[in-house]
Amino acid sequence: MSHDHPVHVPAPGEFKPSQNLKTICAVFMFLGILALVFGAFSQPARIWLSTLTSFYYFMSISIVSLFFISLQYITHAGWVVNVRRVFESMTNFIPIGFVVAIVIALLGGSHLYHWMDAEHVAHDAILTHKKAYLNVPFFIIRTVIFFVGWMLFKKVIVGWSVKQDESKDESITLKLIPKSVMFIIFFALSFSLFSVDFVMSLEPHWFSTIFGVYGLSAGLQAGLAFAIILTVFLMKKGLLKGLVNENHLHDLGKYLFGFTVFWAYIAFSQFMLIWYANLPEETIFYQHRMEGAWAQVGLFLILFKFIVPFLALLTRKAKRSPYFLVAVSVLVLVMHYVDLYFIIYPNIFKTSVPFSLWEILIFVGFLGAFLGSCLSFLSKNPLVPVGDPRIKESTSHHVTY
Amino acid sequence: MDNHDSNEVVSEQNASADVKSEKKLVKESKNKVNRLKKNKPKKTKSSNHTGGVMGIWDDDHKILIAAKKAKTFGFKKLDAITPFPVHGMEEALEIKRSWIPYVTFIMGVVGCAAGVWLTWWTSAVDWPINVGGKPMWSLPAFMPIIFEVTILFAAHSSVLALIVACGLPKINPPVVDPDLTSHKFGLFVPENDEGFSFERVEKIFKDLGAEKIHRVERY
Repeated sequence: MSHDHPVHVPAPGEFKPSQNLKTICAVFMFLGILALVFGAFSQPARIWLSTLTSFYYFMSISIVSLFFISLQYITHAGWVVNVRRVFESMTNFIPIGFVVAIVIALLGGSHLYHWMDAEHVAHDAILTHKKAYLNVPFFIIRTVIFFVGWMLFKKVIVGWSVKQDESKDESITLKLIPKSVMFIIFFALSFSLFSVDFVMSLEPHWFSTIFGVYGLSAGLQAGLAFAIILTVFLMKKGLLKGLVNENHLHDLGKYLFGFTVFWAYIAFSQFMLIWYANLPEETIFYQHRMEGAWAQVGLFLILFKFIVPFLALLTRKAKRSPYFLVAVSVLVLVMHYVDLYFIIYPNIFKTSVPFSLWEILIFVGFLGAFLGSCLSFLSKNPLVPVGDPRIKESTSHHVTY
Repeated sequence: MDNHDSNEVVSEQNASADVKSEKKLVKESKNKVNRLKKNKPKKTKSSNHTGGVMGIWDDDHKILIAAKKAKTFGFKKLDAITPFPVHGMEEALEIKRSWIPYVTFIMGVVGCAAGVWLTWWTSAVDWPINVGGKPMWSLPAFMPIIFEVTILFAAHSSVLALIVACGLPKINPPVVDPDLTSHKFGLFVPENDEGFSFERVEKIFKDLGAEKIHRVERY
């Protein structure tokens, strides 16, 4: 049988980020911090909204990558091994996210969440009842629990995979299965509540039970898009020669396609139930998103976050051509921002659609931090988990038609 | 303990008796088949049932190499029969991609249009009903129906297209080699292929290392 025949696994190239790339990341981060500091004094509400949007954007990509890795361990997936490092690198942002989360909670909270204002809550019957959950100390305790949990799981799931490079201990792959199961259970609860705390509570009267899943679906789509771009970037540098080819891209493309549909499904489920039931406390969320300029943003979202990527990724050829896949991924990443912008901004800007340097600079700052953390992980570790027992299966991966 | 042992002996005897009766049955059925074959009038050729030559290999790696080499002799209808999908076989045999996905897509679009028309005609034209003060034809409410009709059209047409593409139903195809469904791999050239002659194909398969070669009269 085929496994009797030896599969040659070449050594991955070493990734050394160029000085330009490092400088760009640093400059981006600097610009972001500068914008945050200046904005916090001149127009605090808007700058904190912008920070929250970009923070949730990169946190969702990063934590969902850890979820994706766990999923592959549980399903004993072999093909994914040679691209797993890319996903592992994306989880490196979690500790940075922790710092930002605390900063947002302590400094930006009073500008973002009106349930933090004691006087306002006292005059609001609904918020008074929700006080048991929506209060500042509990909010911070929850944030700390989520992030500490995520960092511990990252230390195990990513850390053991890195350890395996040296030890070549095959039992690690099996030991990570129960850990992955535990993480997915923790993730389901923590990510849902994280989304509720940071995003849904911007409009504390409103509620949607599907909100956590909505964040997950959007994050998975964007996370896969980012992983595809990083993978193609490393491939084109010639660092993954003989290890990653269009067959791996094909499978990543299928995932991207699948989660594009999943996002549309969840987004529509959330919308339709609220629209059909027509209860005032629920419809308020969509009311000012279906009027004026926001309605156009919504239509834009349906068209470019679902219909265009859906049709673009239908064919086999599209999923196997690196540059086409990167183009679709860039579109998906842009639309992920528009999606979060559409969820977060109308809570305060009900009629106008403000978009200028304040949004761009903050996003660029986060992008610098995120890219920097990814690239530093990739430069410190082998680009492929060389100790994984399934590396041969992944190297000879082939998608039949 | 002794009791137990004797029981086992009895059951073993039973088992051997079973095997014997089974062998007998097989022999009988073979005789029957032979008799049928002898009595059968001379074979009439139809396009569905063509004879040919099948070579048998014992390893998926070997058959992949053999398939690539056999293809260089210019056979157009060379086919492989394997117990599980052999990676790279489609490329080796230069099999074109299936046209079924195009049927799925086109019928999906038709189904979508049909769903839109169905909901519009029944709810807004033929028998308008006011539901909760919403517009007669409200797209969000009808989206699930439109989606379901799309899937109905696309999925059923795909199955029908599959039946057409595979020439199903194929009733009672001959068993060329019973091991082909467990651990043996076969390459088959039908007799209506370019450059076919029983001797030539047999020689090619022999040179390519086939462990067994069958002449198939009807496939």
